[in-house]
This record gives sequence, structure tokens and C-alpha cells, in this order.
Amino acid sequence: MTDSRVFLTGLWLIVTLELRQRVRGVSWYVLLGVFMLLVGIVTFLLWLATSAWLSGGGGVFSTIIFFVLLLGTLVSPALSGNAVNGDREAGTLATTQVTLISTGQLVLGKFLAAWITALAFLAAALPFLIFAVVLGEVSLATIAVSVLVLAAELGVIAAVGVGLSGILTRPLFSIVLTYLVVAALSLGTLIAFALLGTATQQQATSVNYYVVSSTFDEATGRQSDIVCSTAETTTFDVARFDYYWWILAANPYVVVADAAPGTFNDDGYPTDLFGQIAVGVRSAQAPPELFTESNGCEEAAQSSFNDGRYTDGSFSDGGMYSGQTYGTGPTSQEIYDGAVPSWFIGLTMHLLLGAGALTWAWRRTRTPALHLSAGSRIA
Amino acid sequence: MSVTTVFGAAAAGQGIGPSGVAVSGVSRSFGAVSVLRDATLTVPAGSVTALIGPNGSGKTTLLLMLATLLTPDTGTIRINGHDPVTEPERVRALMGWMPDTLGSWPSLSARAALQTTGRLYRMTREQAALRADELIALTDLGDFADRPARVLSRGQKQRLSLARALVHSPGVLLLDEPASGLDPASRASLRQLLRRLAGDGTSILVSSHVLAELDEMADAAVYLADGRTASPEQVAAAGASARAWRIRSLDEAALERALAAPGVVGPLVQVLGVDQLGTLVQVENEASAAALLHNLVLSGVPVCDFGPAVGNLEHTFLDLTRSTEPNREATK
Repeated sequence: MTDSRVFLTGLWLIVTLELRQRVRGVSWYVLLGVFMLLVGIVTFLLWLATSAWLSGGGGVFSTIIFFVLLLGTLVSPALSGNAVNGDREAGTLATTQVTLISTGQLVLGKFLAAWITALAFLAAALPFLIFAVVLGEVSLATIAVSVLVLAAELGVIAAVGVGLSGILTRPLFSIVLTYLVVAALSLGTLIAFALLGTATQQQATSVNYYVVSSTFDEATGRQSDIVCSTAETTTFDVARFDYYWWILAANPYVVVADAAPGTFNDDGYPTDLFGQIAVGVRSAQAPPELFTESNGCEEAAQSSFNDGRYTDGSFSDGGMYSGQTYGTGPTSQEIYDGAVPSWFIGLTMHLLLGAGALTWAWRRTRTPALHLSAGSRIA
Repeated sequence: MSVTTVFGAAAAGQGIGPSGVAVSGVSRSFGAVSVLRDATLTVPAGSVTALIGPNGSGKTTLLLMLATLLTPDTGTIRINGHDPVTEPERVRALMGWMPDTLGSWPSLSARAALQTTGRLYRMTREQAALRADELIALTDLGDFADRPARVLSRGQKQRLSLARALVHSPGVLLLDEPASGLDPASRASLRQLLRRLAGDGTSILVSSHVLAELDEMADAAVYLADGRTASPEQVAAAGASARAWRIRSLDEAALERALAAPGVVGPLVQVLGVDQLGTLVQVENEASAAALLHNLVLSGVPVCDFGPAVGNLEHTFLDLTRSTEPNREATK
């Protein structure tokens, strides 16, 4: 047998051993059953709530994906967070390490087993995802990308759990810390984004000119002899969320949402939860206007008032009008298309986090051991 | 069975070749705590060597280093000529280790655990299944082989742990407290098994507190106290020191009279007292013990039991442990 063949055989042996150890038995199937029941209820309620028989399955599909991510991140730490140190406490780690299994095979095998376990939840949600697809309006690209990115995110959580279980001595600590990592990514990023954005206030200036007096010509509907006011400057504080949009990129839900190709209806509104979240996150990239000027006199000079209707003049000259004082502003689709996609930044960060945790765990678990942390037994 | 003590320095000088275990000047500390200071020993091929020492003397730490799980701070270790630090894989292929903590995959049956262990040693599925059946028969686990390990009793887990250490037919066997939790019948079969393996050329190092047990199966003993292996001089002195012998007679009154009579008890013998098992006397050496027995029989005492009150290993162990206590105080 070649070296890689030996490595893979040993790796798979560890994976199957882990799966037989951890996920065999009735309780595991009960857990999966409860999960399927929950997803079923959620699917049914969403189907009612979004009138999916008319609008298509985009909303249902995206919400089920998020639900799998939620439950996956809630269950995965408990199943993976004691993979290495739990074995050490049970006395089965050292007896495995004195065999011809390498530490790399051991850590990697435990990670793969934890990942496969988390993917079982995705598999259990499959019937409902198919149902959502059957409802229509879900593009093949959305299905493929969101499922793949979801699988990758579940892998990251599994890697963090197994990694921490190899780094920390006590199983309880590593499980709790894995939960804290999940919480930091899922909720902490939102809190940090909101707090940092609001705390970073910057002064914005707005200059206004307005008509003090004018003569109104009834025949043309135009004003003449306009006497303009002096510049009236007001200052106010704006929050700089655009500095911190990348924090949101580290949120696993944002990664999944942003990765899925945006689908919009004819009015430019997103048709699923992915699109709504992605638009929200991408709109944070735009910096606020720090200087705005509105010249009421020029408007007065150019616009006319006829038959009780006030018609806008041409605002295109001078580029003075920022477009936000009047008009409807950009549609969701325009914001989405005009901003930088952030999901690969977030996903890269997560993959580095997972790989780093596994590498550290590998270094800590290597034998013959050079160092032992205080109070830890090797066997 | 007679026990001779073999020491690293002496035996290494004779050159035992690449087979067996050779440990020289090994030390290891955990942070500020120095667990092993200077351990030197050899286990020749085909022998059973006992590793004896009080709790916390570093026995398990030493075995962990031999089992490629821990690096020594200083000193060298060779397992059949291979260094466990630089060539752990070669050492693992030929070394079997039975830990003092009984860990087995709880949801796997004994048979599945042995098969899995065989596969971890790169056996094929068929080889592993065959070997598992052999070992189940060898360690008498047949009745429990298909129950999950978590329902096994301590003694059964102990036997499973031994079987697992033997999966790949190792040339060097390291056993940490193998007899604890075993019933007398299992102990006897463990003893026979180890003697047979040694007869086949396996080097066996056994740590245990059950010294009487080791007396019967060990060819040699290594005493470890306070992180150091005892020197040959210390062991010789401890083994030769005065020890208690126990005498039991069918007529206790006659024995008492004889011991009190002049000329029966020699100058090197001292009566220590009487307990429920018999009369204890302190005897300087075996010659004076023989003389005492001779005199007692001549005096017409019906002696039915006459022998050392403690085994050879225990006697040496207790004497060495006593003598290291003042040392430890002095180093503080």
C-alpha cells in the first residue's frame, strides 16, 4: 500500500470509530427526529406566511437553510467540543496514540466525523428543501451555492469544536468555549457592528440657501427677482457604519446570505431572505454624505408652478444635487449590485479560524509530548 | 522462584544488544515538579522485570516515556534499539502498552475494540478479526466478548486492556499495574501468560504494588524511589538486612517455652512478638534462620510453618523506602 493509501485508511478508521462512538444509539435518532419535526413545522408556517403557492419557494428555502445553520451551530459544539479531551478523560486517547495512527489522522478523523454529524442535520432537512424548490422560483445557483456554503460553515464549527477540545484540557471548558465562539460569530458580530458604528460619530455639514423674497409670475408660473438668503450652515453627527461593514462579513448567516446569488423581482426587491440580508449588509458599505448643500434659490429659479402642480426642473447641472434630497434613491437591487460582495472575506476568515484551531490542536496532541499543561494527564 | 536484581549500568556494560529495553539516566520534570531524576534500567529480551516503587515515585511517568507518549528531559531510551523520541512509529510497531487507567471505547464490544485496535495497527480486516478471536480465548473473555465495554467489570476491563496491548504480538510489553482488580484465578493465568510470552522472547516490564505477585513471576526487579532507580549496592544492602520470620506451631505453649529457653535462640535472632498468625522473630540472615529451625525441632516443638514474613521484593522495597525517607528530608 502506498503512503497516502495508508493515511486514508487510517483516517477513515478513525472517522468510523468516532461515528460508532458518538452518534450510535437511539438518542441520536430521537434528536434527528425532533429536528425534522421542527423543520417541518417551520416549513408549513412559512408556506402559509409567505403565500408561497403564489410567490414561489425562495423565502421558504432560504429560511430552512438558516434554520439548519442555527440548529447545526447549536448542536455541533456539544458533539464535537469534547472529541479529543473527552477521549483523554475516558482513557482511550493514549491507547489510540500508541498504535500506528498518527496525530494528524487522529485530529483530522475526529474533525471529519464531527462534520459528517453536522451534515446529517442538513440531510434531514433535505425533504423540506426539496419541497421549497418544488414551489418554484428558486434558482439552481441559489440551491448549489447556499447548500455548499452552509456545509462549509458547519465544517468550520466542527473544526473549531474539535480544535478547542484538543487545545483545552477540560471537556466542559472546550464545549462552552465552542459555544462562545459560535455566539461571538452569530450575535457578537451584530453587537460589535452596531456599537462600533454608533460610537464612531462624525460631524456632517449641510449648507442651505432659501428664498427670502421673490416675484411670482402667474402667467409663466416662474419666480423672478429672487432674493436669496445667506448660506445657513447646520452641523450634525452621523454614525460611520461603513468603517465596520467587514465585521458583519464574519457572521455565518451573512456569509450564507451574501454568497447566494441575489434574486430580485421586477421592482428591484429581493425575493428571499438571503437577498434581504445581503442588501442590508451591503448598504452598510456606502459612506454617509458628510457635506450636503441645497440651494432653494436655484430650484426656485428653475422650477415652475403650473395649475397647482409644482414640477421639478432639471437637477443634472452642476452635480450639486446628491440625489438623496429628492427622488426615490437607489433600489435594493442597485445597492446590491453597486457594493462589494463580502462573503468570501467572511468565509476565508472562518476557514482560517477552523484550520488554525485544528493545527493548534494537532500540535498540542502530538506525541511524544514535550510539554504537559498543569494538572493534565497524558493517559 | 528466585529473584536477582539486574541493573542498567551493569547490564548495559555486558552489552545486551538491540533487543529489550535500555533506559539510561532519564529524567523528567513537569514544571517545577521533578518526577524522575535519574532512572537507569534494562529489560533483557525474554525476561520479566518488575518495576517497584511507592506511589508517586515516577513508575507511570517512566512507562509513558517508554510507550512513546512523553519525551524525557535528559537521558536515552532504546526499545529494541529504537529511540521512542525520534522513531516513535518503529517503536509503536513493536511495543505493547497496558495503561494504569482502564480506557476502552464504551459503546464498542470487547471483540469490536480488539478488531479496531488491530486495524489501527494496519492489519487487514480478516487478520484483525482472527487476532481478536485468539486474544479473547487467551484472556478468557469469551463470555463477555460481545457486550459493550461499559458493562464490563473492572477485572474484565483489565483483561481486555491486556488483550489490546497484545494485539500486534509486540516484542516489548509494558504493563502498568496489570494485576490490580484481578481475581486470584485471573492473576494466576496472567502470571502463566507473562511467563509464556517471556519464554517466547518478549521483554516484559511490569509495574505493580502486589509485590508477592511479582515475586513469583519476575526474573529481576528495578526499585524506583523518589525518581531514582536504586543502585545495586543499596539493593544488596537492603536485601541482606535483618528480616522478620514467622513461626507457627501446633503447640504454641511449647514454642513459647522453647524460645524462652537458653541456647535455642542464637545471638543473631530476636523474638519480636506473637500475632494471630504466629510468632514473629527477627533473623539476621538465612543461616541463622536455619539454625533456629534446627534448634526448635530438636527441642521437640511441633513446627508446622516457618518462613519469611514478607517476600523478597517486599522486604527490599520496604527497606529501600525506609532508607530514602531521611534522604528526602535532607534534600529539603
